[in-house]
Amino acid sequence: MDIVILSILLVVEASAVAAARVMRLWLRTLRGSSYLAALVFIITFLARTLTGADFFDAIGYAIVYTFRLVVFLTSFSLFFLTTTPEEIALTMSKARIPYEYIFAFVSAVRFTPVVADEMRTIMDAQRSRGLELDRGPFTARLRRMIPILIPLLVNVLRRSYELAEAMEVKCFGATKKRTYLKDLNPKTSDYLILAGSVGLFTITIYMRINGYMPFEAITGIRLVSGM
Amino acid sequence: MPVIEFDRVSYTYPSGVKALKDVSFTVEKGEIVVLMGENGSGKTTILKHLNGLLKPTSGRLYVDGLDTSKSTVAQLSAKVGLVFQNAENMFFESTVWDEVAFALRNFGFGEDVVRRRVDWALKFFDLNGYASQSPFTLSGGEKKRLAFAIVLAWSPAIIALDEPTIGQDSLQKEKMLHMVKLLNTQGHTILLASHDVEFVAELRPRIILVSSGKITADGPCEEILSDLEILRKCSIVPPQLVLVMDRLRDLGLSRKILDVPEAVKAISEVIGHKHI
Repeated sequence: MDIVILSILLVVEASAVAAARVMRLWLRTLRGSSYLAALVFIITFLARTLTGADFFDAIGYAIVYTFRLVVFLTSFSLFFLTTTPEEIALTMSKARIPYEYIFAFVSAVRFTPVVADEMRTIMDAQRSRGLELDRGPFTARLRRMIPILIPLLVNVLRRSYELAEAMEVKCFGATKKRTYLKDLNPKTSDYLILAGSVGLFTITIYMRINGYMPFEAITGIRLVSGM
Repeated sequence: MPVIEFDRVSYTYPSGVKALKDVSFTVEKGEIVVLMGENGSGKTTILKHLNGLLKPTSGRLYVDGLDTSKSTVAQLSAKVGLVFQNAENMFFESTVWDEVAFALRNFGFGEDVVRRRVDWALKFFDLNGYASQSPFTLSGGEKKRLAFAIVLAWSPAIIALDEPTIGQDSLQKEKMLHMVKLLNTQGHTILLASHDVEFVAELRPRIILVSSGKITADGPCEEILSDLEILRKCSIVPPQLVLVMDRLRDLGLSRKILDVPEAVKAISEVIGHKHI
């Protein structure tokens, strides 16, 4: 069962998180996603039970799927908590991606929290006008998102025009070749990590295509039938 | 019985920022109270507690007899009309008329009441010419007025305004001043957050000074705005007139003078001229 593999991955990632001193932020992400994790657990369990798996099998699947989500979230938080948008931009420019595309990507990343914040403000304002978001049937709730989504869209559009103006004022695209304030210099250790990740990824893809189960393939033990 | 009662209210944002620390004060029906303090002192946090958008982390808050921790935002909003700083960014309906009607319909008023209230509110704010236009076509000042019309339409007993004078020219401020006074004479209790001292000095309200989540002073406008010591502590620049009167204190003048005719009278008495 790949729970062992997942556990190893989680431990490795958790130590990386600890080393990067972003433990508190990571724990908050996990706490925030606990509802989603619980949902995944319940849905998997029910789906497996209803399709005829026995109790322990279903529990096993549910645990593995939930674990996968946690590992997945950890990987993402590890990346975004330790890498600034500037660093991502620098990496992309090293890969010779045109700056226009890099800028679009970086501003998307950077403006996500801004838009999320704005959405909260708009929700507060509309709730102050008597809008009840958490009552009634699902379709009615969906309809009540309109007073949130329209102002949000309008504000996003307005902001993008303002951003475009601000960029032109600051001579965006005036010179073909850009220089950067910081310069990225990959060290040997960076290349080793990169090679390791790509290697693991290749092995995983290979095993997947050939139908091996990771834990069985390594230890030869078959834990749960059909996994 | 006070209409608003903060009883040792503390509030900590999910991010861990302690925005309010043991805040206690009461507001009587029909009062005008201005919350003053620097950015991030907790003024907006206090206002957001009034209609339940934020619930006290500890302590209790009663608004018109309701414990806000046990009431919904919709229940409380019927009593407390909160006008946000950038309320004009929240429009979504296709006409100005519907924008005002939205809240009234949410609060369950009948269609004929809605019609009457919307027409009244638009007239009150001099917007009836725009009733069938899109709210997005209005000018900045008109949008601000529409934001007030929206809240005034359901005539909440308590009106809470967050920085109502920001981005307004002097004529608009003048109108705002009259509007706040008029609403007050009609029996509305008014709470507003502002750091526009000149505006506040003309309004002559009770002032509550907020600084890093705590109440540093609470008293009548004349007392607070002439207390240079405490204003400096809260990073508020005193009204110019108070500074002038302070410089002239050797002549035996009081600092507690907030308007020009009064100041002229006091000064001319001291220097012995009838008119200046």
